[in-house]
Amino acid sequence: MGKKYANPPIEEAVCEFRLTPETRWDLTVPGLLYERLKETFPQKEQRMIQEVELTQGPEGLQQQIRTSERLWFFTEDRKMLAQVGPRLLAVNALKPYPHWEGFKPRIDMVWKSLQETVEVQGLERIGLRYINRIELPAPNVKFDEYFDFYPFVGQRLPQHIAYFLAAVEFSYADDRDHCRVQLAPIRLSGKEGKAAFMLDLDYFLTRPRGVAAADALAWVEEAHSRVEEVFEGCITDKLRNMFEEVL
Amino acid sequence: MVTTVPYLHKPQLKTSVTGLQWTRAEHVKRESPNILTLPRDLLQSLWLSLAGIAFPAPQRGSESVVIDIEKLMEWLARKVRFENPHSIREYLLRFTELLDVIPEAVDAAKKHFPEAQLVMDVYQDPEIADCYLVLYMRLKHYDDSVIERLEKAEAEFLNQLVNKRGWIQLTTDFREPEGEGAV
Repeated sequence: MGKKYANPPIEEAVCEFRLTPETRWDLTVPGLLYERLKETFPQKEQRMIQEVELTQGPEGLQQQIRTSERLWFFTEDRKMLAQVGPRLLAVNALKPYPHWEGFKPRIDMVWKSLQETVEVQGLERIGLRYINRIELPAPNVKFDEYFDFYPFVGQRLPQHIAYFLAAVEFSYADDRDHCRVQLAPIRLSGKEGKAAFMLDLDYFLTRPRGVAAADALAWVEEAHSRVEEVFEGCITDKLRNMFEEVL
Repeated sequence: MVTTVPYLHKPQLKTSVTGLQWTRAEHVKRESPNILTLPRDLLQSLWLSLAGIAFPAPQRGSESVVIDIEKLMEWLARKVRFENPHSIREYLLRFTELLDVIPEAVDAAKKHFPEAQLVMDVYQDPEIADCYLVLYMRLKHYDDSVIERLEKAEAEFLNQLVNKRGWIQLTTDFREPEGEGAV
């Protein structure tokens, strides 16, 4: 069981399931799924999403653009949503984070609804992502006071950092899973007199079909434990105190 | 290596892709950057997406609302001065359907007021519980054409606000440009 905070920095948590191409999917699926979800997620929105696929081939970098329709089903209070696109299902929890006890049952419910709607043949990817916004009380801070994960800049380098992106991927379960951790500053107007950072933790399945559909929810539970460990590993007690642990 | 980088779509226009505007290429002249500039622009800019290029992760899409908003804020920061970025972020979280419309509104404003400083804020009506995004045009000199140009700019994106929750208003407060980005 991980720590609980009165002021968690979580801006958004996302659990994503991408299905393998063998899974039959047609235009009726989002509507059928909405019928199952509409009591919990009654508010519908539609967006067109384009993804640029960059492929590094022998002839250099090539790009392909895919457009797909994405339906967003929001809860009445708009604090949670389910996203449905071609062979894609995601469940998002926006702030205030309802804690895992509030988020996991929604993931379970949405995933089971999908399984009742289509015959899931396999999982291309599963991901559990936590996006944290961490605000610190001064515009210039010493990273090591608040973070145990930050860019190291040697003394021979300029010490005034205009911008950075610190990123690393950790390997789990014999490299079946990775956890990508990214830390970057967030631009503020300058009037606020504080600094803000985005700490993005994304635990995901690296091997398509590495987890059976029947084991997907168990994988999500395990992913959550790993993300909690990594989050705690990224911050110091000073930051923990700011988040106010609930005992 | 294959990686996918999400960006938003402008479905109404045949030759323009909104997501491409979410780059920070400083030398792209056209209002809606050419699609061919994308990889270089991406490598120059989208920090949040860069990790997706550095680390191969098949089939990555844009599933995070917060990341979508941050990318939009990054793109806006090049063109618009924020009065209160926190309130703008909060507004966008409440009214996610505006994510697709805002780039169009800003482009329309830039097209009709190339000399203006654009200032974005959230307007809170003091009398009723209503708030909306405001994009102010601030000019050094105001003349009779301002209102007509405002109407023309607004006409370019107004139809996209139909049936959407949230609102963005193009207007001017007849103030002069100020601070960083003043023209």
